[in-house]
Amino acid sequence: MITREEKTRVALLQGTLDLLILRTLVFGAQHGQGIARAIQEQSEDVLLVDHGALYPALQRLESQGWISAKWGISSNNRKARFYTLTKDGRKQLVQETGQWRKLAAAIGRVLGPETTEG
Amino acid sequence: MFRRAKRDQADFSEELRAHLALEADRLRAEGLSQEDAYARARRNLGNITHSEERFYEAGRWLSFDHLRQDVRHALRQLGKNKGFTFVALLTLALSIGANTAIFTLTHAVMFRALPVGGPKQLYMLGDGKNCCDLGGYDQGNYTLFSYPLYKHLRDQTPEFEELAAFQTYTERVPVRRSGDTVPAQPFVREFVSGNYFSMFAVQALYGRSIVPRDDVPGAAFVAVMSYRTWQQYYSSDFSVIGSSFTINGQTTTIAGIAPPGFFGDTLRSDPPDFWMPLAAEPAGSGQNSLLNRPNRHWLYVIGRLKAGTQTAAAEAKLNSALRQWLTDVAGSNPGVESRKTIARQRIQLTSASGGVEHMKNSYADGLYLLMTVSGLVLLIACANIANLLLARGTANRIQTAMRIALGAPRKRIIGQMLTESVVLALLGGAAGLFVAYTATRAILLLAFRGSHYIPISANPSIPVLAFAFLLSLVTGIAFGVVPAWIASHSDPAEALRGANRSSSTHSSLPQKSLVVLQAVLSLVLLTDAGLLTESLRNLEHQQFGFETDGRLIVSVHPSLTGYSRERISLLYQQLRQRLENLPGVLSASLSGYSPMQGNNWNQHIFVEGLTNQPSTSLDRVSPRYFETIGTRLLRGREFREQDTQSTPHLAVVNQTFAKRNFGDEDAIGRHLGLEQSDEYEIVGIVEDAKYQNAYKPAYPTVFLPLLQMPPNDWAKADLPASSSFRDIELHIVGRMDGSEQRIRQALADLDPNLTVINVRSFGEQVSATFNQERLIARLTELFGLLALILASLGLYGVTAYSVVRRTSEIGIRISLGATRTSVMSMVLRDGFLQVAIGLLIGVPVVVAASHLLGHRLYGVKSYDPAVLGGAILVLATCALIAGFVPARRATTIDPMRALRTE
Repeated sequence: MITREEKTRVALLQGTLDLLILRTLVFGAQHGQGIARAIQEQSEDVLLVDHGALYPALQRLESQGWISAKWGISSNNRKARFYTLTKDGRKQLVQETGQWRKLAAAIGRVLGPETTEG
Repeated sequence: MFRRAKRDQADFSEELRAHLALEADRLRAEGLSQEDAYARARRNLGNITHSEERFYEAGRWLSFDHLRQDVRHALRQLGKNKGFTFVALLTLALSIGANTAIFTLTHAVMFRALPVGGPKQLYMLGDGKNCCDLGGYDQGNYTLFSYPLYKHLRDQTPEFEELAAFQTYTERVPVRRSGDTVPAQPFVREFVSGNYFSMFAVQALYGRSIVPRDDVPGAAFVAVMSYRTWQQYYSSDFSVIGSSFTINGQTTTIAGIAPPGFFGDTLRSDPPDFWMPLAAEPAGSGQNSLLNRPNRHWLYVIGRLKAGTQTAAAEAKLNSALRQWLTDVAGSNPGVESRKTIARQRIQLTSASGGVEHMKNSYADGLYLLMTVSGLVLLIACANIANLLLARGTANRIQTAMRIALGAPRKRIIGQMLTESVVLALLGGAAGLFVAYTATRAILLLAFRGSHYIPISANPSIPVLAFAFLLSLVTGIAFGVVPAWIASHSDPAEALRGANRSSSTHSSLPQKSLVVLQAVLSLVLLTDAGLLTESLRNLEHQQFGFETDGRLIVSVHPSLTGYSRERISLLYQQLRQRLENLPGVLSASLSGYSPMQGNNWNQHIFVEGLTNQPSTSLDRVSPRYFETIGTRLLRGREFREQDTQSTPHLAVVNQTFAKRNFGDEDAIGRHLGLEQSDEYEIVGIVEDAKYQNAYKPAYPTVFLPLLQMPPNDWAKADLPASSSFRDIELHIVGRMDGSEQRIRQALADLDPNLTVINVRSFGEQVSATFNQERLIARLTELFGLLALILASLGLYGVTAYSVVRRTSEIGIRISLGATRTSVMSMVLRDGFLQVAIGLLIGVPVVVAASHLLGHRLYGVKSYDPAVLGGAILVLATCALIAGFVPARRATTIDPMRALRTE
């Protein structure tokens, strides 16, 4: 959710959330809130994860068998559901990353060189 | 679709709560107050309820919920539409019930395993299709075995854990418990080898079963009693075990009681009451004993194959053992001819998980026929209900259109309508189980009319319940799919615009096709029912060559072992005299076999002037036999009292015998014999009478006097066996009430060794042979009637419905001057056209279908025009009546009212 006081942030393109979740999990098991935090921090607070969309996305990835989940205890001693990347998920990540890079490069070519003016 | 979701809602909600807590922790760490942190976390997460809903819709619970809604909706719909529901449920209950009943029988007869341990490991030597007691060594495919041959095979085949032998037939023998005052009663006894019970892995319920040490010469006589007998006749009295009985004259100890449900090796209507070791056979049979004769094959052999043994290996071993034994029997230097014969003999293993499959062999055809017929009835029922649903679907068109217009997906509409049909079918199937239970009981009573025991239970078993459930499911989908498809494809705009006006024939084509289909199927069933009924009538009322009116047959088990020839002769004379002196008895006779009694003696005999020895039926009969059973004497004379052992030996032959062996020459005065051709002189020729198979012409038969045989033959074992009588025939006047008691008394007075097995009228004896034919004919009639009713209902429904839909059209026609007659004929023509098309398609189908019946028919051709014509007439009449009722209603339509209905 984009709030007024955080205008500099960018909403995620549809479909990219799945990719970012998978990528985040490469570093190890993580719970939903942690995933959201990680994306936000890695993107230096540019990308904002809609928490409401996060859980359906996790649900979707889980039912596709790309991630698996089990309940555990977080670092600050709270019960949380931890997600892990599966073998299939890893494959999916490689494939989607390639696609995304191709797409980004293509869009970049169409948009032309970056202008410095804001 | 019904699979449970991996996570439930509560788990998901908990995850969201965990998220809130973690996020609040973080925000607090950033310096927010407890309250602010929580509020912020909540805000960031967005609408929790929305998330939860999205979770739910992604899960599988949704389809399950839809199903639940659909079922509820279906039940509501059915409850609202009571008339429709009643008709549909009745139709379904009857047709699913009929199919389930037939399946219950088929399953019990064809597929059920013996109630013994590990039935799958059991194999029978040969196919068990031959029976009883065969002489010689040339069977080709061996399935009957002599005791010496069995012992040889048993000892040569370690591939079998156990190889057991048992009698191919059972016998009724007199049984009396020692100390009882009542006379001996007939019970069924079967001889089995000592390892019979261990081969079946069956233990005695109480006491012990027969073991190998009981089955050696000189062992004390023991018997195992069946549980049923113990319960029914000895009221589960524990003192029976270990007590002493007299079974066919031998003092025997009851070793134990067989477990409940164990009926032996063969599914039959007279299972053994007592099992006794084979070693006890010679004692009761005297010089007729079969046990130690290598050339008398009267045993079946079943073995339990060792785990991991290939049947082929066991088969090869059996075959080499068989040939070796045959070679040994043939002597040290067998001729070329017998070597060839030996090479031809073989043993094939067949699965014996169902035991000896006599009942399967004799009923398989009939059961498949009944399954087909009941399947056709179900098809008609499906067509009928599909039709009703179509009619209702058209009535609900506006509702469906509205739902589609409001965005209901096609999938949901189809799903909901299919759910309704399946629910209906399952309810019908449940009701059908009751119908099936009642019907199975009725069928069993009809099939085993006159039997002491019904070997099949009508209680639904797990396979039967599964069958009924699956059948209902498939039925529901079968009759629901077309109406659902049509409903889901209705065009909302057209439906809403058209309101009640129905120029569209959108659904009437499928409806009419269904009526045509019903007409075709009904015609097939009606014709088949007609043909089978006609065939049964021909069978029962054919010229048998004897008279059944006023005749009684008394089956007797005479235990005359040890009687001298003179004593037997005197006994026979006195017996006839006594019976003929009973009030109301016109004449009495004795015979080895009476016609259609079920047994028969067959032998190759020597005939004067013939080089070959024709196979001939042999019967030994007393004086006045032919007179008593009403077989006409064509030439010469019957046997008389004066024909005794010491007078010239005589024979009477039937017409077929005379014609086949002597052609146009005179048979009287010719000679024939059992060992050589000059033993008996033919003195009479009688008309042909059927003794065995009612479908086939009479077999060549020779009748000999009961006791006339060459003096040294008396010592030979086989001949006295053929001379002992088993049946008494009585020709009486008036009713048979009370005569049974007098007959039993007369026999008991004369000699207590004459045990009466049963007394029945000759008519009953003959008609019992047609039990199966009668059963099939009656059931096919019933199914034909059901089909006719269903088809008429279907036609009525469609016609009535079209009249309702065309109300305004008919109103206009009437107001424009159409006469009542023309309106009526218009409606009738419509309905009749469908039936006419049905008949047109039906006739060739019927001819093809009836052709398959050909071998079951007697005295009627499969394309019998009278039967086919009758079926067409019946169907057309019913169609006329079914169409007439709505047609009359059409003529009473008031034009003003009709036009106002819109």
